[in-house]
Amino acid sequence: MKRNGPLITLLAGLALAAVLITVNLTVTARGGGDPDPAGFGAAPATTAPAASAPPSAAPSAEASAAPVAKVNATWAGTVDGGGATIAIAVTDGVAVAYLCDGKKAEVWLQGTAAAGKLALTGKNGAKLTGTFGGGKATGTVTANGRKWTFTVKAVAKPSGLYRATATVRNAKVVGGWIVLPDGRQVGVVTVDDVPQPAPAIDPGTGAVTVEGAALTAAPVTGALSGN
Amino acid sequence: MSETTRRARVSATGLYVPLLLGAVVTVTLGVYGSVHTPTGIAVNVAGFSGPQTVKVWLASGAALLALVQLVSAFAMWGKFGEHVPSWIGPLHRWSGRIAFLLTVPVAVHCLYALGFATYDTRTLAHSLLGCFFFGAFTVKMLSLPKRGLPGWTLPLLGGAVFTLLMGLWLTSSFWYFTTIGVRF
Repeated sequence: MKRNGPLITLLAGLALAAVLITVNLTVTARGGGDPDPAGFGAAPATTAPAASAPPSAAPSAEASAAPVAKVNATWAGTVDGGGATIAIAVTDGVAVAYLCDGKKAEVWLQGTAAAGKLALTGKNGAKLTGTFGGGKATGTVTANGRKWTFTVKAVAKPSGLYRATATVRNAKVVGGWIVLPDGRQVGVVTVDDVPQPAPAIDPGTGAVTVEGAALTAAPVTGALSGN
Repeated sequence: MSETTRRARVSATGLYVPLLLGAVVTVTLGVYGSVHTPTGIAVNVAGFSGPQTVKVWLASGAALLALVQLVSAFAMWGKFGEHVPSWIGPLHRWSGRIAFLLTVPVAVHCLYALGFATYDTRTLAHSLLGCFFFGAFTVKMLSLPKRGLPGWTLPLLGGAVFTLLMGLWLTSSFWYFTTIGVRF
């Protein structure tokens, strides 16, 4: 009996994993009933294999389902009411959103964009939920006790979301810029957590001078690092 | 229970099958994580604000139990004195089992909702560590009942499993605590 212990442990883990995957598959399949405009290739197909496969399907069965392109898109624009600007940059399903007023308020959020849904979180309980498809993204941001709703369009370079992080004379500098299709820029730079309006970047190169130091703002691709 | 009377020849050949199966586990997880399109969502555990916080705390629980594993393993091998209390063995077995079971929901969420990711060094390292962790754990479990393995087998495998789990924790929970904050 004792010698079987490790094997039982392994099988218990496998069984637990199977149960969780089964629950996931059934829940995802149920959620997939929502009408989902196929603006982006990733949206509709993700739930299809789950719906067609029996819930008991092992991971290997799921793995053989046709792979679907991961979401890559950027949406940017003004939130409803015009109080702030938002940009959401998605690289391979990893979403980074930035909401700021160009003066001193800003929120960075990170999460995922998949199956037509956006789910991002940020510091201090900030949250973004929404949907996307058909060249636009719609949703709600809650942060610092406030709430914004938005419907913004897909944009292409050089429009989009830019970010720069640096240490300038021992001060931690984090800058975020949203470049809109009409060329407008909205950004905030925080120097040691004190926010201020961001100087304009060169959209072509990302070059910008902050606190007398030359920085380069890079387009946001994938998860934020070093913050 | 007559295996104590058997005196097997010490040889590492008994490790072939566990190592092979461990490799199968590692490769399967990696391939599944790469091929399966991440859904971005998965079933949430009640009581937490989101799937990420659930994972962070489950993984932290597993990491804590892994420390218990390390200490109890040292005790079992007599590193803290000749006298080994009888409860050390069960403590080691059960803390290990619970730690392993805690990691399973985390891994399922990682693989199902996020997939094998290479956005940056942290996620790449985490993805690789995750695949290897379950492979190494499989090898450890399958090697445990085998007799006649070299004396370095279990310390090496246990150390590998421990190191991989700590790497996983550092690249996920610790990163989350220091980057996003301690939240429930």
